Amino acid sequence: MRILALESSCDETALAIISGSGSDWVLEKDIVYSQIAIHQKYGGVVPEVAARKHAETIFPLLTETLGEEKLATIDYLAVTAGPGLVASLLLGVTAARSLAYAAAKPLLPVNHMEGHIYSNWLSNSELKNNDQKYFPSLALVVSGGHTELVLMKNHGDYQLLGTTQDDAVGEAFDKVAKILNLGYPGGPIVSKEALEGDDQAYKLPRPMLNSGDYNFSFSGLKTAVLYTLEREKNISQAAVKNICASFQAAAVELLVKKTIKAAQEFQVKSIMIAGGVSANQLLREELKKESTKISLPLFYPELKYTGDNAAMIAVAAYYGLQNKNKKILKGEEIFSAKPLSNWQIFLK
Amino acid sequence: MREYISNNLQETNELAKKIIADLQDKRLIALSGNLGAGKTALVKAIAENLGIKEAITSPTFVLLKVYNLNFKNLKKLVHIDCYRLDGEEDLQDLGLEDYIADPEALVLIEWAEKIKNLPEANLLKIKIEILGNKERKIIIS
Repeated sequence: MRILALESSCDETALAIISGSGSDWVLEKDIVYSQIAIHQKYGGVVPEVAARKHAETIFPLLTETLGEEKLATIDYLAVTAGPGLVASLLLGVTAARSLAYAAAKPLLPVNHMEGHIYSNWLSNSELKNNDQKYFPSLALVVSGGHTELVLMKNHGDYQLLGTTQDDAVGEAFDKVAKILNLGYPGGPIVSKEALEGDDQAYKLPRPMLNSGDYNFSFSGLKTAVLYTLEREKNISQAAVKNICASFQAAAVELLVKKTIKAAQEFQVKSIMIAGGVSANQLLREELKKESTKISLPLFYPELKYTGDNAAMIAVAAYYGLQNKNKKILKGEEIFSAKPLSNWQIFLK
Repeated sequence: MREYISNNLQETNELAKKIIADLQDKRLIALSGNLGAGKTALVKAIAENLGIKEAITSPTFVLLKVYNLNFKNLKKLVHIDCYRLDGEEDLQDLGLEDYIADPEALVLIEWAEKIKNLPEANLLKIKIEILGNKERKIIIS
């Protein structure tokens, strides 16, 4: 079985090919074209610019990925249908629909958040070879657009335990970087500054830490950084580092405490993290420390698979086909594939 | 033009009720104010007072979120955030015209100042200024 996957939900245009049978699969191709450099000058993703860029890059990337054989040896197409920016998603979905229909190949719409979770299968051979041992698993998916705690009972079987009630954690990092005038994307910059800062220097709140549920709130934390800045008119470089460290410590504590609590309540066999913010070193270290205390294995993706990519979409489609838990569109049905900008992971 | 001061979320909630009561036939609300001013917090308060049970989350990442609404003749609440835009876009580029033209949609736009040519008819402008910790001045025109 050979699958071509397309991903264009935000500011990356990506293609991948996976092939195999059973739990034995290999990633043959994996191409990501990132627009970060373009969006840096705007301080964030500009939806219309992103969509235009996807349109320009997707066909050259297809040629590069498929080569001379084109679609001849591809059995299935998979595409990210949501959640994401509707204009960006539309490009990928339209391209996939056209290719699938013209070449008479079945098409699988894939959930982007599910894809992120499967980035762990790309990076951990122990998980890939023995995944049944690790279900149910608790997945913390954290990025610029999402902060979700998902109970993964088995392949394709999800329960959403909690989500942010306002800003996503990655968005909070981006906005704190903007408030401090540090640039975009905010996550890596804030983390870098935090390395040399004192995380006890500022007392920042931990919103919803004791809310009794698995939801998150990061908007108040962002505003607390703003107030801190307004109190101190002339802020030194050292103070910026301290604010970054204090902010990051608060954000990570919120994520780790709720994840560990959920892991205990739902008696999971493993914890996974995924998404752009799963690249955060402090989050990895703290979660490793806390999961070890309760004797749970922690899986996280290689850095290159923390961001958006098509390899994770290909893997999610692969397991969807193996376990027959995905909609497979054929013939005229292919045109029913649509961008679903708010597609929740537990919905088929 | 009216000015209000809010010192906390309860007062913002009261203000949201007032805004809804004074809406009349206005269906387009433009919100402006710096990061952390409380634009999303005010949208949340308005949505809750309109009976929306879902959590209103930041639309910064996806630009636009639509919620089902059942208030008088309004059937949906459209929450838009132009934070990521560079100020060059107009309504047509963003595909927002359809929402604004829809008589059943209440449209709330954060960072509305970044969009050129917003229709002035039926437009309610809300500006939020940060006065200090939690204290906000809200100017409605």
